[in-house]
Amino acid sequence: MNRIQSYFRQLRQSAETGSSFGGVNERNYKRLSFILFIAMISIALGPVTIIALLSYQNYLNLLQVEERDQLEWRLEGSITSFQSLINSVKAEIEFTADNFTYEELKQDEKLADTFYLIKRQFLFVTDLGIIDQTGLQHTYSGPYELKGKVYTEEPWFDLVFRNSPNISSVYQGIRGVPHFAIAVSQINPNNGQTWILRATIDAKKLQRFVHTIKTKASEDLFLIDNKGILQTNSITFGETLTPYDYESLLGVTPNLTINGETFFHAIGSIEGTPWSLVLIEKRYIHHQKWVNFRGRLIFLLVCCYAISCVVVYCLVKAFRKQLRKTDEMQMNMIKEAEHTNKLASIGRLAAGVGHEINNPLAIINQKNGLAEDLLDLSPDFEHKTTISNCLKSVNQSIDRCKAITHRLLGFARRTEVVMEKVQLNHILNEVLSFLENSLIHNKIRMVLELENDLPEVYGDHMQLQQVILNIINNAIDAVEKDGDIAISTRNVVGEVQVIIQDSGHGISEKNLAHIFEPFFTTKETGKGTGLGLSITYGLIKEMGGNIKVNSQLGKGTAFTISLPMIRDEDDK
Amino acid sequence: MTSDTQEIKVLIVDDEVEFAATLAARLKLRKYSTQMATSGEEGLLAVENDTPDVMVLDLKMPDLDGLEVLAQAKSTHPEVEAIILTGHGSFEAGMEGMNLGAFDYLMKPVDLNHLLDKIQEAYEKKVQTL
Repeated sequence: MNRIQSYFRQLRQSAETGSSFGGVNERNYKRLSFILFIAMISIALGPVTIIALLSYQNYLNLLQVEERDQLEWRLEGSITSFQSLINSVKAEIEFTADNFTYEELKQDEKLADTFYLIKRQFLFVTDLGIIDQTGLQHTYSGPYELKGKVYTEEPWFDLVFRNSPNISSVYQGIRGVPHFAIAVSQINPNNGQTWILRATIDAKKLQRFVHTIKTKASEDLFLIDNKGILQTNSITFGETLTPYDYESLLGVTPNLTINGETFFHAIGSIEGTPWSLVLIEKRYIHHQKWVNFRGRLIFLLVCCYAISCVVVYCLVKAFRKQLRKTDEMQMNMIKEAEHTNKLASIGRLAAGVGHEINNPLAIINQKNGLAEDLLDLSPDFEHKTTISNCLKSVNQSIDRCKAITHRLLGFARRTEVVMEKVQLNHILNEVLSFLENSLIHNKIRMVLELENDLPEVYGDHMQLQQVILNIINNAIDAVEKDGDIAISTRNVVGEVQVIIQDSGHGISEKNLAHIFEPFFTTKETGKGTGLGLSITYGLIKEMGGNIKVNSQLGKGTAFTISLPMIRDEDDK
Repeated sequence: MTSDTQEIKVLIVDDEVEFAATLAARLKLRKYSTQMATSGEEGLLAVENDTPDVMVLDLKMPDLDGLEVLAQAKSTHPEVEAIILTGHGSFEAGMEGMNLGAFDYLMKPVDLNHLLDKIQEAYEKKVQTL
């Protein structure tokens, strides 16, 4: 959680950092992109990953439950088959003991007949014997020499008196071969003594039967007795009569790990016998289904990740590009604003200095002039020429100072623009009334072609006056005496144009390229400030307009000022 | 220095005494009939007492602003031509002066011959109007 919070803090910092010009802390685009990428990827892939994990888990659980059900069902089936077999053998032995008397069965031939009959039905029965209360085997029919053997020491002997019929665990007994016994005790009505009919079955036969109820070669199905001794061979745990280690695991254990492999392990007891049936099966019966599902899931997830990465990468890249562009624009705007501010400050300072110096300079100028005047009127005297030269030199210096102060005053012009609706024809007339005297004096022919119904434009009235005055003044200087100046206004698609054209000496191509640069002037020293056209250019641009100049040496120059027309939506 | 310049009566209104006095002296040398006033009030008084042909008017003066002097003088004596000559020139003030009927607008320090040309032009205009 803390990490996420710190990521977001970083993201915010990245977004806020920089872009302030001056204290310049440029935005760290790489880091921002990285954080953005991570955030977007997390948003895009987080839910997908969670859903994938959930479905993985759910499907796994589903398969496991199904598998467990199947295995349990199989175990139950095996137990039932086994139990019915044992029950039928047991029933047969019980039936024999019930239907024949001790005396009848004590006869070797009778027992052999009976054994034969039982064997016909249950081929796997090994032998049959009659044992009296003292544990002595009176009669025996089978492949071993067991007649006359005493069984009092055998574990089943005591049990059969208390619990008949009794099925013993597998043991080696007197014959030394693993087998188990089914014994039934009966009371002889003639003498009141108990006798026992006992049949044995070889463990090998038991083993064969277990094999027949096995459904799969891979599973390990075997019997254990209630003391945990293997009654049949186990693939995993060894041969018959080996102690079985996992006796504590009763019931169903779905995930038993043996030697690093997972097994399904189930123990079910067989009623009426000392045995339990154990089923051990390697996990994942549905292995192929599971592998298919997992493969598809991983494939989809990988595709999802790849597509998301590509899309997010492209988005982040585009965003970064756009952001950088916006930042640059903002930076440029700030720079421009700072530059304008700087210029305004310089302007105010310069104007102050200019004003303060102009007055004393005017006095020096006049005093010097007076001195020259008086010197002119004086008769020749010694040093007159030298003094005259000195005064001329002072005059030249005053001219230089004048050029400087006038240039400084040029800076002081108002730089901020106040936009209002203006009529350019009206402004032109105002400016021309200003210049009337100058035009008449210089005998300049002025041709005016002002379009009637000229649309209004947005602009700064005072600044436009200054701009137009500046250009017409330049034209007057260019044509000198007896020249022509033509001024026209017109409405061209979407904008209003003022064209001021003179028949002056024109501007060379080389100079034309620099004409709007500050302090560029072609006028002789002291006459032009060199600020006029650069200021003009800046002002027109600020009003959203444009200024263009065409010139040909010896033929004249034309300035075209264009300002956008007011659109209806601007009005609203 | 033409002989007919004596006919032209010039009034110099400027609070900078040294400047006004020197300019007046130079004009006198060129045979102009010259008066000088070192404040706006004085200037207006001079216009009343001995109406000049051309006024050379400073803009920034402590008591009465040059533009006010111009406005008042023009209202009583519209025939008087005025040339604004200032060291504090701003475009706006120049424009306003022109609107009030000034003949021209010049920046200090001015070349005397240029000023004399302007005085001559202003005088000619006045004579023509009359």
